[in-house]
Amino acid sequence: MLRAENLTKRYRQGEKEVVALAGFTYAFPLGATAVVGPSGSGKTTLLNLLAGFDLPSEGGVFLEETPLHRLPEDARAEVRLKRMGFVFQQWNLIPTLTAWENVAFPLLLAGIPPKTRRERALELLERVGLEARASHLPSRLSGGEQQRVALARALALDPPILFADEPTGNLDAESREQVASLLFEAGRERTLILVTHDLELAARAERILHLKGGKLVWEEVSKVS
Amino acid sequence: MEIFHLVLRNLLARPVRSLLTLLGVLIATSSMVLFLSFGEGLRRSLFQELSRVGPAIQVVPEGTEGLGFGAYPEITPAQLQALEEAGRALGVRALVPTLFLSRGGFDPQTSFFFQGLPPGVGPDLLYPGVRAKEGLLVPKAEGAVVGGKVAKRSQLALESPLRLSPQVTLRVEGILEESGGLADNLIFVPLEALQRVLGTQNFSAVLVALSPGQRAEEVARNLEKAVPGLKAQTTGDVMRFAERALRISDLVRFGISLVALIVGGLLVANTVMMSVYERTREFGVMRALGARRGFIFRLVVLEALFLALLGGTLGLALGGMVSYAINLYTFSQVGLALSAITLRLAFFALLVALSLGLFAGLLPAYNASRIPVVEALGRV
Repeated sequence: MLRAENLTKRYRQGEKEVVALAGFTYAFPLGATAVVGPSGSGKTTLLNLLAGFDLPSEGGVFLEETPLHRLPEDARAEVRLKRMGFVFQQWNLIPTLTAWENVAFPLLLAGIPPKTRRERALELLERVGLEARASHLPSRLSGGEQQRVALARALALDPPILFADEPTGNLDAESREQVASLLFEAGRERTLILVTHDLELAARAERILHLKGGKLVWEEVSKVS
Repeated sequence: MEIFHLVLRNLLARPVRSLLTLLGVLIATSSMVLFLSFGEGLRRSLFQELSRVGPAIQVVPEGTEGLGFGAYPEITPAQLQALEEAGRALGVRALVPTLFLSRGGFDPQTSFFFQGLPPGVGPDLLYPGVRAKEGLLVPKAEGAVVGGKVAKRSQLALESPLRLSPQVTLRVEGILEESGGLADNLIFVPLEALQRVLGTQNFSAVLVALSPGQRAEEVARNLEKAVPGLKAQTTGDVMRFAERALRISDLVRFGISLVALIVGGLLVANTVMMSVYERTREFGVMRALGARRGFIFRLVVLEALFLALLGGTLGLALGGMVSYAINLYTFSQVGLALSAITLRLAFFALLVALSLGLFAGLLPAYNASRIPVVEALGRV
């Protein structure tokens, strides 16, 4: 289980100190949790800290009992590789690699043999309906297709935690639905943390956390199960 | 898809830039290879030539290095006599006084090199393996034996006149077979004729042939003791001197080629830095997905190393081709292969190219591996 305790992040902007996140405490259970809130409410900062991209000014992030915020940079990278998957708004595929090579990239980092990597990547691409596009470069794929490749990549090492940051923000209606379905299906047996502006998408999560001014103001349990 | 595959993909994604960088390294390496190949060629030709020289000891005036080609003859008849006496006492096989004269300028096409030999001594005593193609091998009093290349170049035939001075004109009595050695470029004439031309009774050098079982170093030291003012150098001494001289010239030529190498290194550094700058987000994604800093560092360093090694290898190949062309020319002109790409030069060139890549890649690689994930992904 991923747990945030009194998570606080302050930045300096010239003379001024900005509090991006203030005393956020929450234990993320299995299933989908959406984090919503207006711009500047601290959603991205929260995701950065939970994923270990950044370190908190105060408080901490615990994965089971491991204090993620106390681990050195490379150890946090190792945790991300083996325990977390990421889907970003901008897809963030590696432009010089084909779809299957992008999916296989975390497997390469984990030292999986080439043959197994390819098999696993193709299997995941089939799961997101893109087996026919496996050898295409990202530039030859539509936004929706790129996001599905990114989702397949996030699932490559079958991580227990899945982060999605505005995963449908740049997609048309049809692709949005496709990606959302795949995402929630993947999140059924893991901890899915979904950061979004899209209240309709958030409503499909089991819990919705409302952030405002860097604080958790309200936790809502969704009617959808 | 291994890390090397990623490196290759990235370089191919920016083909023009990669190609230009490759060309930079290629030109830098090939110019260095070519510069240094002259030293290697000279070293090889010189040692081949020296190993063909029959007499084990060359006696030259003190202060002369090498064989004393080109220097004014300074060994006096009295010194020669003293040498002959000392030689007899030491039991040497033969002492051959010799004289050198060059006519013409710096252009080997129009220059003539004469070597004077005492009566009855043929070029085969000094240059083993030399044979007459036409006519005599040992020149008579007014005759000359011409090296194969000189004869061909200057269209000399038997009975052709050779005017050494207004008073001295010799006739070609023999033409040597081309042996690929120094003798191909020399004209052997009677010692006395050269002394008349130079107006001296002196000699340039005295060559000493040893009896079986004699040790060159020991005889040389005894000859020096017996005749002050002369230096008796063994083939080993000449080789050591030549090696020292060649090392210095190697350093000078390496220094010159260093300019090209630095430019090549800067090109690689620029390409890799640009690439790192453009791929900041990509590296951020890799780090976000779980890549360690070392992975990013290796990725960038490998790119630089790959460019440098490929450029270096191609540069070596180009250098080899140009060296071959140069050798074809110099062999046809002076009978010597002036350039040589030896195994140690090839290794050295590749090592320099790899070091170039390593140094050019280290800083960009370090920077790439230290970019904070949130900044790289624009998530601040």
